[in-house]
Amino acid sequence: MGKYILRRLGATIVVLFFATLITFILIRLAPGNPALMMLADSATPEEIAAMEAYLGLDKPVIVQYLIYIAGIFKGDFGTSIMYQRPCIDIILSRLPATALLTFAGCTVGLLVAIPLGVLAGVKQGSMVDLSAMTFALLGQSMATVWLAVLLVLIFSVHLGWLPALGYGTFKHLILPAITIGFPLASQTTRLARSGMVDVLKEDYITSTYAKGISRRQVYTKYAFKNAMLPVITIVGLQIAGYLGGAVVTEQVFSWPGLGALMVSAIGNRDYPLVQSTLLVVAVMVSLVNLIVDIINCLVDRRMTLN
Amino acid sequence: MEHALIEIKDLKVEFKTERATAYALNGVNLEIKKGESLGLVGEAGAGKTTTALSILNLLAKPAAHIMGGDVLYKGTSVFSMSEKKLRDIRGKEISMIFQNPLTSLNPVFTVGEQIAMVLRTHKNLGKKEAFQEAGKLLETVGIASYRLSDYPHQFSGGMRQRVGIAASLACNPELLIADEPTTALDVTIQAQILELMKDLQDKYSTSLLMITHNLGIISELCQKVAVMYAGRIIEYGTVKEVFKYPAHPYTKGLLGAIPRLDVDSDHLEVIPGNIANVHHLPSGCKFHPRCAFCKKECEQEEPAMNRINDNHYVACYINEGGL
Amino acid sequence: MDKKLLFGRIKRSKFFIVGGIGVFFIIILAFTSPLFVSFDGTTSSLMERFTPPEGFSKGLAGHILGTDQLGRDILTRILLGARISLSIAIICVALSAFIGTVLGLIAGYFGGAVDKIIMRTCDVFLSIPSLILAIAIMAVLGTSIINLITVMVISRWVQYARLMRNQVMVIRNKEFVLASKAFGASHWHIMFKQIFVNITTPLIILLSQQIGQMILMESSLSFLNMGIQPPLPSWGSMIANGRSYIASYPWVVVAPGIALMLTVLSFNFLGDGLRDILDPKQK
Repeated sequence: MGKYILRRLGATIVVLFFATLITFILIRLAPGNPALMMLADSATPEEIAAMEAYLGLDKPVIVQYLIYIAGIFKGDFGTSIMYQRPCIDIILSRLPATALLTFAGCTVGLLVAIPLGVLAGVKQGSMVDLSAMTFALLGQSMATVWLAVLLVLIFSVHLGWLPALGYGTFKHLILPAITIGFPLASQTTRLARSGMVDVLKEDYITSTYAKGISRRQVYTKYAFKNAMLPVITIVGLQIAGYLGGAVVTEQVFSWPGLGALMVSAIGNRDYPLVQSTLLVVAVMVSLVNLIVDIINCLVDRRMTLN
Repeated sequence: MEHALIEIKDLKVEFKTERATAYALNGVNLEIKKGESLGLVGEAGAGKTTTALSILNLLAKPAAHIMGGDVLYKGTSVFSMSEKKLRDIRGKEISMIFQNPLTSLNPVFTVGEQIAMVLRTHKNLGKKEAFQEAGKLLETVGIASYRLSDYPHQFSGGMRQRVGIAASLACNPELLIADEPTTALDVTIQAQILELMKDLQDKYSTSLLMITHNLGIISELCQKVAVMYAGRIIEYGTVKEVFKYPAHPYTKGLLGAIPRLDVDSDHLEVIPGNIANVHHLPSGCKFHPRCAFCKKECEQEEPAMNRINDNHYVACYINEGGL
Repeated sequence: MDKKLLFGRIKRSKFFIVGGIGVFFIIILAFTSPLFVSFDGTTSSLMERFTPPEGFSKGLAGHILGTDQLGRDILTRILLGARISLSIAIICVALSAFIGTVLGLIAGYFGGAVDKIIMRTCDVFLSIPSLILAIAIMAVLGTSIINLITVMVISRWVQYARLMRNQVMVIRNKEFVLASKAFGASHWHIMFKQIFVNITTPLIILLSQQIGQMILMESSLSFLNMGIQPPLPSWGSMIANGRSYIASYPWVVVAPGIALMLTVLSFNFLGDGLRDILDPKQK
């Protein structure tokens, strides 16, 4: 168990190392002088020279990379051009909004998807199953943009029940949460369904019935736990993705999260902020994946053997 | 009149899949009396497991179709019982040991939880008491009780089968169905498991339906034996009678197929041909294409079960004609 | 596979039939539209701003779905957008599948260090959500159709690589593969002639499911103004630009929204149906 976690931690560190490499290379791939890209257009020649020295542009690329890494370890992700403040401060100030949205969206999605998926799997081939699958396909076919706009059109413009954009109250949370939750729900429904269908065919389920256990208990406990294993993995990945910023959703609803930050940083050519946001997102996604693997391993102890 | 514990009457079961229909059971008649231990023997695919699962009304739906016949438990049809009644019987009055201990235990629950669930369902025990009881059961089958909180993958195949046995004995059932409990195990482990079952049988005095293709096991554990071929019982009687005077050519073949050390023989007898294809069963007696004594009528009509004596029945024309 | 069985499954798969018909019509409409549309989708005519949908009241000569904020005919733009979006999606799927498949085959076949490097690279790409990665790269590279395709391919090849690698792992030690090794066949021959031909089913299924995903991704990028650039229309940018007028002129966003949804839905139905038909166990 401990060994397994250590090994996964090792793999995570390797992945993060590559992620720093990518974010480092990205800025240097851009045409033109990286120092210019890191600075506002109005920068003076002195500022440019200072930035060149800071980036070590006269030094070999390897040294430049080491300087970049050393900065990261000291918590120095660079300074945002737009805000004239350390990037990491800005990113951290945006995190709570993204986290809240992710949490709300996943809660909405899972509350719908898991019962629906389990029911569809249990009643394979029935009308319930067909409707659940249609619901799932519909969810996967809704472009985020379209779903968001449609929700606004119905609930804000026509019914006037909920605000079309903004942040702060529970009412503001509902539409963005549904926008995130619906696609998540559709994928989870399918996974829960196919997990259930597969598990119900297993020998150990027949043997559970042979012990006189009721269907309800099998569906909610003895097959449920097995069926949820693939769901945990994929939902984990999804949560990680949303934590990285639901770019479109945040943009549509003016939600002050990481995704919106990324878009505005790009719009303002704030490259240090783009670079550091990307890296922070990579770190978060990797950590969530690590946590998901550990949870999976706690639920299914066989994982540690592989 | 008191009913037998289990009466299977002319049971016909088919499995329908997209590609084909498998005729798994084609009119099985069988009786298990209280306290009796019956061996059900036959090659793979003869319908032994299907028979066992029918008794518990656990055939996999929607593929399995009961085309006719019935299974009576103490005189009541299991197919017409309420779900509730069935649940009360399963695991409490009739319990089952499965063939493959590697797949018949749920990998994400501890063995303790899996034994305790039977006790909690049928004996209304609380969580703590159920675990204590489960621990005792583990000890009976020769596993230290501290292993209750281990997961199945932490046990060897033989140990897992012991866990399966412990769970099936939890409520001291009237009938224990053992579906090839040793087939998936090493030979040395097989002997241990059989020894254990023999001890437990003496101790608990439950009826036993022992499904196997190993005749040795039957002669060790059972009083009666039923030989199955292509979804039918073709010979039935006491173990002594049937093994000594096998009447059906197939049974003779089966007995001949066991290498014997005490008889000097330079070749192993084998039954020619393969087991009947369940998708395309032959006409008449299902065994006739492989039978050395095949007559014209064998190809046309299925022979009925005939009494040889009180302890021996066979479904074969040879015996009718006194061949 | 048995032809009769396959045909029977096709007939029973409602998803496949619905999706197939949908995709067929969408492709026909998108690629033959220049033959029958009566407007230019890219020039604005401010006099006709926000004409409400006229339906077929003026036949094909009217603004069937109305006009947008610049007075351009929405139906024409939707059809033009369909052509662009579909072309880009198909090109991206083909390219990413090609790259991913080759890398996946190599990783699975050779194993060892090669496998480790390729799979770790996949992990890195998976550690950054694909849309975020795409917009970051677009920000640096600048917006153009070539860059858009590059970005979408970069952020999607991983799926194919992982799938192919896992499939190869399953069959690379099968007898027929070992036999051709023993006969001294080249790696290239074994990878493509022996292994690849046996694992095309999951690839076809993934391909068909990815077309819809690519269309969605392109619409998101276009919505963020990092995809297809004006004056060329894209469903995503049509929604983005019409969003400000949603209260008074909802058709400006509803029409492209529904087009987008129906198209992706058709492809997803088709993909799902295809999976049911080719590999019913996977359902």
